[in-house]
Order: sequence, then C-alpha cells, then structure tokens
Amino acid sequence: MFLRIEKGSSAPISRQIAHQIASLCAAGSLKPGERLPSVRELARDLGVNQNTILRVYERLSGDGLLEMRQGQGTFVADGAKANASPGQRARLIEELRQIGRQAQSLGLSHEQIHELLSVALGELDEQAAHDLAGNLS
Amino acid sequence: MSQVSNSDGSAKYAIELQGVCKSFRRTQVLSNLTMRVERGKTFAFLGRNGAGKTTSIRMLLGLLKCDQGEVRVLGLDPATEALKVRARVGYLAEDQQMYGWMRVHEIVRFVAPFYATWDHDLALKYLREFELPLATKIKHLSKGQNVRLGLVLALAHRPELVILDDPALGLDPVMRKQFNRDLITHLQGEGRTVFYSSHLLYEVEPVADEVAILDGGRLVRQADTETLRRDVKQFVLDRVALATVRDDMSVLELQRAGDDVAVTVQNAAAVRALLDREGVGYRVVDLNLDEIFAAYVAGVNDDDAGAAMSVEELAPQR
Repeated sequence: MFLRIEKGSSAPISRQIAHQIASLCAAGSLKPGERLPSVRELARDLGVNQNTILRVYERLSGDGLLEMRQGQGTFVADGAKANASPGQRARLIEELRQIGRQAQSLGLSHEQIHELLSVALGELDEQAAHDLAGNLS
Repeated sequence: MSQVSNSDGSAKYAIELQGVCKSFRRTQVLSNLTMRVERGKTFAFLGRNGAGKTTSIRMLLGLLKCDQGEVRVLGLDPATEALKVRARVGYLAEDQQMYGWMRVHEIVRFVAPFYATWDHDLALKYLREFELPLATKIKHLSKGQNVRLGLVLALAHRPELVILDDPALGLDPVMRKQFNRDLITHLQGEGRTVFYSSHLLYEVEPVADEVAILDGGRLVRQADTETLRRDVKQFVLDRVALATVRDDMSVLELQRAGDDVAVTVQNAAAVRALLDREGVGYRVVDLNLDEIFAAYVAGVNDDDAGAAMSVEELAPQR
C-alpha cells in the first residue's frame, strides 16, 4: 500500500491518509478481505503518530470501509467498494462545494460546471477502459 | 498556595508550569507561563527564535530558577531536586556539544556511570539500530549521526520523560523523517512522554499529540493540530460588514485589500455561525499550519492594537 503525506498542506494528515485509503479501496487496489499494515507498521513507515493512524482506521471502520478485528488486525470490509457511506458522502459534498466555489469564482454557470464534470467523468471512463485493455493484452 | 501536584511518582502530568516568570536583568523572557503536559503524550513546544523555549527547557532541568511561579517535572521541583529530575529525564540540548576527540563507544562508557539506571545493552541496541560507527571520533560524525548519538545518551537510562531542545535543527529532510520514525518507534511505541521544541509547526504535525505555541514569553495556544486547523481559519468579507461582527471574533490577524478584509480568527465555528445568522456574505479559507503558526506569532503582536484601530477606521461613516 503506497501512501503519500504532503507536509504543509492545508489538509490535515489524518484526512490525507483516510482519503488515499478510500481511493485505493474504490480503485480496487485494496480488495475486500485484504489485510492492512498494523497501526505500528504504518506509523513507522509514514513517520506519523500512532494515534493518528488509529483514528483513521477507526473512522474508516465507522464508515464501513474497513473492519478492525480484535487481535487480528485491520481488513478491507466486504462490500467496501459498494455505495459510499453517509460519512464519505458528506466529505465528498464538502469537496464538491469547494470546487463549485472555485468554478463560480471563475464566472462559470451551473450548466457549464455540470458540463465540465461530465467531461472529467468521461476521461476517467476512457482511462479505465485503457487500463483494462492494457491488463488484458 | 500550591496549585500544582506534588506527589512524586503518581503525578498525573509529566510537566507542569504554573504562572512562571523569568527575567534576565530587565528583559522579561517568560511571563506568566502556565502549561501542562500529560504523561505518555508527545508534546511539541513551538515558538520563533527567542520566544523563550530554551529558557523554559533549562528551567525544567533545574539549570535555571524561575523568578515567580511553580515548576514540576514528574512531580518534582527541579530547582531543589535537580539530581532526582535528571535521573528520570532524558535530555538532548540544542546543538549538543560532545567531546570531539572521544570515540562513540568511549562516550557511551563515559556517560553511563552518571546514571544509576543505565542499561548498557539498550545503549548498544540503539547504537546498532541507529547505525552509529562505534570506533569513529565524535568530531567526524555527520550532523544526523550526532543527533542520534545524543539520543542514545539521552535514552539509555530508560527515562520516563524525554526533553529534546530543537533536535531536528539542521537535519536534512531525509534525516528529519528518519528522526520522526525514531521518535515514533523508540519513544511513542514505549509509552514515554516526549517534550520537544521546534520552530516549524508543519514538521511536528505528523508526530505530536499536542502542540503549544509560545510567543514573547507567553503561551498563546495549546491544542492538538487538528483542533488548531478547525479553529483557525481566515474569513474574507466586506469591510463594512466586519464592524457588525468584530466584537465576537477572536482575531489573530487582519489584512485589508480594497473593500475586502481578510480576518484570521481562532474561533472559526462561532464566527461562521454568527455570519450565517447575520446574513453576512463571506468566504472561508483553510490555512496550512505555517500560516496558522504565523498568525499566532507574527499577526498578534504587531497588529492587535493596529487591528482595533483599523476597525474603528473601517466603521461606517456617520
């Protein structure tokens, strides 16, 4: 599991880590049932306080994305890739709101913003199709 | 009179300062400093150069006496029981000087007899893990190796509390990260209390449970970094609208640009609720930790009087 911490960012470190784990789950790089590094291991690898890592694992477990099993470790929950939890939705809305504000400050209308979102989603689909083709060949 | 705990072993806090003042001749270095560090926490002590960090640390070790107030370290008064404190505390001074002509294994043997609880096997284990060359003379060690040797000497007597004065100063980014890993593995992992100073908030964020910001000898804020990020935000709003809400804002910094003002406050949730209730239009900016630190230590001193003045100036003309 590759994670990257950006120092000096305006996003707190716990949020950076939570986001990246959620993205890895969504992208399928972390599969349901897969075991994550222990709190200690990840703390040492990233050079991050163990309590921070523990909080992230707990929060993502609360969101239903991970599952902390007593004495066994932390695993990607079954069905983690299915629909986003309320907590994840709330955070996504917050991010979209910031993007929306940015777009409005550029003078774009609602229609134009929707259009740009469609373009971005289209590009993601293309990318996915391309990756799939690459894997098959 | 005593507001600090005085039971020896069972003190809840590893460090307690209560109303501490210290002057050198006529220069006041610390004024009414009150601060508590819980046991088992990693605590970062931040401030600009000359804010009073090293003076505070020297007081914790009994190297300086305070003029007023009380200091307790592991429940002990370092001014009268310095030796007992030193036996239970590991200390790494800022830019610690060690005898350059000694070899690494020599200084370890030289320091050991000063501590009754010295664990030589542990010292050897750290020397190995830190990849320190035993036969090399100290003057030939790199800056990073020097800090790690200082850590070995500060840790091998298994102290309950470790006090590090700007340990990451002068380390390159790779060594800084390695140093953070050392802190996490060897100190946090073993449940010890760590108190370390720095002047870079973003450097301590990954590691610290809590931070305290010192400015001009005063404690301006103590919190964990996520709380700091949540509480300290910049609001951009109309200068006329500002006058109606200014009294309820805890302002750290205020800047003007045309008809807009950018106000950095430390009570963001309350300000946001107030602006929403008053129907005032605004934009919120999330700040990074450097900006938050700067707002506390650079914004407040020069601008507090200035901010009040400029708000009066800003008030709608009658």
